[in-house]
Amino acid sequence: MIKLLSKELRLAMHPTSLIFLGLSALILVPNYPYLVTFFYTGLGVFFTCLSGRENHDIAYSVALPVRKSDVVKARFIFVAAIELVQAAIVVPFALLRARMPLPGNQVGMDANVAFFGFALLSLGIFNAVFFGIYYKDVRKVGKAFGAASAWVFAYITAVEAACHVVPLFRDRLDRPDPEELGLKLAALALGALAYVALTVAAYFRARRDFERQDL
Amino acid sequence: MSILSVRGLVKKYPAFTLGPVSFDLEPGRITGFIGRNGAGKTTTLKSMLGFVHPDAGDVEFFGLGFKDHEAAIKSRIGFVSGGVDYYSQKKIKTIASVTAGFYANWDAGAYSGLMDRFRLDPEKTPAQLSEGMKVKFSLCLALSHKAELLVLDEPTSGLDPVSRDELLDVFLDLKASGVTILFSTHITSDLDKCADRILYIRSGRLLADSTIEGFLDEYRLAVAGPQGFAPEQEKALAGLRRTRDGASGLFRKSDAEALGLACEKPSLESAMVHLEKEFQS
Repeated sequence: MIKLLSKELRLAMHPTSLIFLGLSALILVPNYPYLVTFFYTGLGVFFTCLSGRENHDIAYSVALPVRKSDVVKARFIFVAAIELVQAAIVVPFALLRARMPLPGNQVGMDANVAFFGFALLSLGIFNAVFFGIYYKDVRKVGKAFGAASAWVFAYITAVEAACHVVPLFRDRLDRPDPEELGLKLAALALGALAYVALTVAAYFRARRDFERQDL
Repeated sequence: MSILSVRGLVKKYPAFTLGPVSFDLEPGRITGFIGRNGAGKTTTLKSMLGFVHPDAGDVEFFGLGFKDHEAAIKSRIGFVSGGVDYYSQKKIKTIASVTAGFYANWDAGAYSGLMDRFRLDPEKTPAQLSEGMKVKFSLCLALSHKAELLVLDEPTSGLDPVSRDELLDVFLDLKASGVTILFSTHITSDLDKCADRILYIRSGRLLADSTIEGFLDEYRLAVAGPQGFAPEQEKALAGLRRTRDGASGLFRKSDAEALGLACEKPSLESAMVHLEKEFQS
């Protein structure tokens, strides 16, 4: 698996996957829908899969002395690693934003503890939708990305809107830390669990679909 | 024990059905897999290696079932499908370095020897290589991990005649060292130089699995003038081809002898062309 991950990094990864990690700094913008920051990670995954299609990454990978299913596992581990690295990079920017002498985010949710739960859920949704379609036919990367983008943006819109109109969000979750910390930690834990559940389910489905696929 | 055993391989597409295909490869032999474009050569090779999901059939490499020993089997074979067309902007030394990591028995000496032999520059990218050089690099990768079996899908297409001849020399060297080779081609002269056996596939079905001599010995080629063959001769035709001065016909050896035709042994190319033309008509 380590060799396949090395292949992901040295041959398959599109440079934008790393460049978009830098967009974690968007958390410093005073008023911005911060959940969108995590969408760029999905965009980097899309570029990696798109460039993989143009560079015949799958044909190369399945000819290596590995099981066909290992190719899927390596891609999921690579994507999860990128997503979690991005979440980790956002943390210092969120701390910095909280210390800025400015009011909270006027557009949507503040970058607080609960925010990371919602961000992880957005990544889980992306993984479930994108890989659910992508591994049915690895040639149709655009279709997978289009569907995943629609779902993620619908989710982001719902969460950011909720911060203005739903009392639970507006009055308790979208508050500066450490207010309502217990509730926010619960939101973080639920988001993290949902991310793991959606990603693992997507992996098993993708493995099954890829095994059946004619390359 | 056969190196490769294929039994009842079937793959169904809406407009094409492969098989059932069955054959064995003996160790240390070069087998040419011939057939016209679309006959099922690539589908057979891809089905054997799990790239395409077959509807039926069993495939064993080295006595091991492919489904249960996929990674172990792949480490003992080399597969080349045309030239390297992956990671077009990466240096080929990077591609080789990553590939080498997957093989415990990667032979760096053999790799550099082949790179020299094929005059490949490791600093170049696949995008900078001609089609022929891409095939050569692909072969370098396949030949550098001491593969016991090489499965090559049209490795000579895109190569100039000299490079093709060099490649066939490599095949003969590998055969001398005990490597088994299965390569698909529609260039029959490649087989004349190095193949011990042929598998001839037509419209998804194996038409022949024998030595070239054995296959050709079953047929005879006769020539007819502008008036064509006589009606009783036409009935016995296995294949007919128009020529500038009339026609040439392929007959089963027994039929040709029974009809008392003046004929000669066909070449592999003429036998294949006649058989395909008859099948089409």
